[in-house]
Amino acid sequence: MKRNSFSEPSKAADLADVRRIGIPRALLYYRYGALWRAFFEELGRTVIVSEPSDRGVFEAGDAVSVDECCLASKLYLGHVAALIDRTDALFIPSIANLGHLRSFCTKFQALPDLVANSFSERDIRIISCLVEEQETHTMARESYLALARRFGATPRQAKAAWKAALHAQDAADRMAQSTQEHALARAEALPKESRPLRILVMAHPYVAHDPYIGGPVADMLIEMGACVLFADHADKERAFKMSLDFSETLPWIVNRELVGALMLLHDHVDGVVIVSAFPCGPDSMTNDAVTRRFRGKPTLVLTVDAQSGTAGMETRIESFVDILRYQGKGGYLHVR
Amino acid sequence: MFDSIRGKTPGNQIADASQVIRRQKGDMAERVALHAEAPVKTNAKAPAAAMDKPVQPIESRRLGKDEPLTLRAATFLGDALDTLDRRRTETAPFARISMPDAGEKQTGPWALVPKRKRPKRNRHSRKKVAFLRYGYYDIVFKFFVEHVLDADFVALPEPTRKTIEMGSAASNDFVCAPFKHILGDYMEALELGADVLVQFTGPCRLGYYGELQESILRDAGYEFEMLNFATVTGKSLQDYISLCKKKVNPDLSLTQGVANMLAAFKMIESLDAYNDLFLRLAGHETEAGSFERARKTYFADMRAASCRHDIDEAQKRGIAALEQLPVSIPADPVRVGIVGEYFTAVDAASNLDLERKFLDMGVELYRMMNLTNRNLRYNEPNLRRSVSEYVNFDMGPTSTMTIAAAKNYAEQGFDGIVHLKSSGCTPEIDCMPVLQRISRDYRIPILFLSYDSQTSDTGLDTRIEAFYDMIAMRKAR
Repeated sequence: MKRNSFSEPSKAADLADVRRIGIPRALLYYRYGALWRAFFEELGRTVIVSEPSDRGVFEAGDAVSVDECCLASKLYLGHVAALIDRTDALFIPSIANLGHLRSFCTKFQALPDLVANSFSERDIRIISCLVEEQETHTMARESYLALARRFGATPRQAKAAWKAALHAQDAADRMAQSTQEHALARAEALPKESRPLRILVMAHPYVAHDPYIGGPVADMLIEMGACVLFADHADKERAFKMSLDFSETLPWIVNRELVGALMLLHDHVDGVVIVSAFPCGPDSMTNDAVTRRFRGKPTLVLTVDAQSGTAGMETRIESFVDILRYQGKGGYLHVR
Repeated sequence: MFDSIRGKTPGNQIADASQVIRRQKGDMAERVALHAEAPVKTNAKAPAAAMDKPVQPIESRRLGKDEPLTLRAATFLGDALDTLDRRRTETAPFARISMPDAGEKQTGPWALVPKRKRPKRNRHSRKKVAFLRYGYYDIVFKFFVEHVLDADFVALPEPTRKTIEMGSAASNDFVCAPFKHILGDYMEALELGADVLVQFTGPCRLGYYGELQESILRDAGYEFEMLNFATVTGKSLQDYISLCKKKVNPDLSLTQGVANMLAAFKMIESLDAYNDLFLRLAGHETEAGSFERARKTYFADMRAASCRHDIDEAQKRGIAALEQLPVSIPADPVRVGIVGEYFTAVDAASNLDLERKFLDMGVELYRMMNLTNRNLRYNEPNLRRSVSEYVNFDMGPTSTMTIAAAKNYAEQGFDGIVHLKSSGCTPEIDCMPVLQRISRDYRIPILFLSYDSQTSDTGLDTRIEAFYDMIAMRKAR
């Protein structure tokens, strides 16, 4: 039935007039950015990604958000606000899950409607598609192919675009993964005395790599001479499989990949820094589970909210690194 | 076994305790401080702008008149210090460090809940099964345990302040409130001798409740089995049955179980139908307490039911008794619709019995959210079509129902809508912009209430009274 819906001539290429597509640099952009960009570029569209987050973006987002929204969601709305006037339409998919135990936070499934209703007074055009493999069996591939058809692409072009998109995302993921593996191997090749601290930053990609939320954490650690590993740069499929040993019912795919990465890298790190955006739903439970089960490594749990500076964060990270260094030298009482 | 350290403001390196610290931008900090002190956080709609001012009932609550002066003075001093402390520390992010003991090395196994031995069939003893507290559905839970699972049911007494305090103490700060309530319920059930705890599943955080709660309770030293339906989501009926057999009763009768399961569904429908009638009429009772008494009798009647026939009879008697009670319905009563999240909107203990408060003011209440409408008869795509001008996608477990119900109430010309959710409930937060649009489009006031684990309802009373006054005045105009 699904196949018929796009082998027959598409209803209308209602998006054919869209030339410039805006993608907010927030939330799932950090997971699917390469895929989205390649997909639309292959369809001959111009992709405009918003500028990296800063205080201005946050304030714009905060102004249109409900108070209780999480920090990352407020930033997303800020990025949307920055793109509205610069683009013909915004790409905001509704991504619910990729199958059983591979769900996303309900935020990602609500995003198109959340944006449409939050900006109901502005004239905003949203391009969306649904990925919900568990309940309605709406697979990512079919969804994107149908979307390409709405841009006026032939079935062949649509498939080519999807293939290019997958390829680009795969290449980006591999790149990040191998860079990280090399960095770790280089650090571990050094003799024990001169080896830098290996610290795993465990955070959702849109937290870990966003310059307004978790970005400063990694920067500070690097500045202090640590070798920083990102849990989201580990082999995603392997990490996911690993996480099945940890939990039978943990529903969120991103959290599963992070926990799995922690399990994969556990013996290779000196300390773990968990960063969450306040108040993240999935993290509120997963952090608790992780800190109670993984007790063999020093762990710092940071919950970040809209801050006016990084001094408070710096103190925490500095003291954590100091503790690790003292511990490496045999504990507080045995400092040489 | 763990050292916790606490960073202080810059310059001051390490101190004791595991207190949390946070950094906020100026006005955000104000709001959070308010949230921590005032029991309920409210966001009134445009017409209700006057209600936006903070309510501060905390001193009056803590300093009872009967307490000796010294104690009152000490409490006041403690509160003041608390406030100062919060002010001082809220300029930095939350941080918590845990350190392994010297020489402690962990290599696995990593399972959050380790695998457990299966009980031997020939040594089966009758299990005592406990559910969480959830409104009046304990009647169904009891029926399910006794007639479907064929085990003993552990009836929980009314929840107390201690329940939620125990639950909160054992859970993470910013996990949603139902988690804390349910954890408290489980602890009480285990103290009462339960062997098996039952947990449901859902497409939000609820899907992870069971496993995490099991892990927390095991770490706390309790010994029990968990019948966690999240472990069989999306699987066949056969898997559900074998899970029940494995955890509760290996001798479970299938024919009886299925027949009684259908009766349990009927019971849910009956209870919800009765409750709808109750909410509509109880505000207009002429003799105070008559409806509450009738409901108590009905619940006792229903609780004694042991088959489909009993349920139907109890329902007939209950509805008849309710309809016979004297009421005086004004020509144009104040009507309020309740919408919101699965647990908080339904469970009186977690919404501080909001329905009773409205009923006492003579309001007619309507609530679409219940197990019948959300689980037994839920057709999400269909329901979504009725609100297609507002949303295109399913926004979360109860979002479509919240939005559809709100629009339905607005179209029927209700005087107001109350939106209930636990603080931090992502899907319901995402519904709020939609509800605000409905409020603007239909010019209907909406009161947004966000519940955390508070135990005092003074702040809630103030908000509800102000909301009632506002909608009553609008009506009179």
